[in-house]
Amino acid sequence: MESSSTSELAELVRRAQRGDEAAQRELILAYQHRVAGFVYAMTNRSDYVEDLSQQVFIKMVRAIDRLQAPAQFESWLFRLARNTCIDQLRRQKLRRIFLPFGEEHENIPEPPGAVDSEELDALRHALAQLRPQDRALLALVQEGRSHAEIAAVLATSVAAVKARLHRAREHLRKHYQPEHET
Amino acid sequence: MKPEPEAWRALQRHASDQLAPDFAARVLRAARGPSDASWAALRAQGAAQIRPGFAARVLQAARRIPGSPSLADQFVLSMGTAAVCVLLFLLFQAGMARLEDDRNLESWQQIADQAQDDDSVV
Repeated sequence: MESSSTSELAELVRRAQRGDEAAQRELILAYQHRVAGFVYAMTNRSDYVEDLSQQVFIKMVRAIDRLQAPAQFESWLFRLARNTCIDQLRRQKLRRIFLPFGEEHENIPEPPGAVDSEELDALRHALAQLRPQDRALLALVQEGRSHAEIAAVLATSVAAVKARLHRAREHLRKHYQPEHET
Repeated sequence: MKPEPEAWRALQRHASDQLAPDFAARVLRAARGPSDASWAALRAQGAAQIRPGFAARVLQAARRIPGSPSLADQFVLSMGTAAVCVLLFLLFQAGMARLEDDRNLESWQQIADQAQDDDSVV
């Protein structure tokens, strides 16, 4: 079952690589919600989700013909998503340095309670305290990526991924307070 | 009842009254970190931001915005830029050489005129 869905995905990717628009559409529909969830975990901003997800999929459509191994499509897509979010966060940081009083609304994360449950707010609060790279690491694990796949995405070793993941989880736990006592 | 144990119990009661009713659950949640359900809720919250027709909008935008130049395009552009730079450099060099020649000829001319004047005096 698992291998047949993998081969179906690989076939879909091959069709998309040949420029088949129906296959490209199918890939977007299959992954749009997962990518959106990943983007939200990375940016903590619901108003960025659609725009950044769109950027990710535009990059996907443009670059899919250069993907060497169709079976590694998911890892590749989440690498695009990670890099797009990190670029956006860097731009946001630069803008904050050069325009400290302009576009103030861009710098304000959604307040706690704007979403729904206490636990979700606590998770968002904890994630916001982490470095974007650590957020990406945790979000990739939540997306079901293996340590080896994450190592490939980050161009590092599996041991380094495990060590960084351990530290990121420690930080997350440290900042995770469902009551928002801080 | 001795006053001291009674006072301790009163202190404990007062302290325990300060705790929220779901104190134990909160402690466990904080100790374990975010649950899978919290992560799932976060992903669902992000996914809910995608408006209907997203795929169509992406494909339309991908067609509309010009893509990044190919390697061949970048190579041609680099070669063109390099050729223009070399041409400008050669023109500049030729101009400078011509100016230098003119200056040299002029000074030789002065020396020759001077020598001719000296010969005629002798």
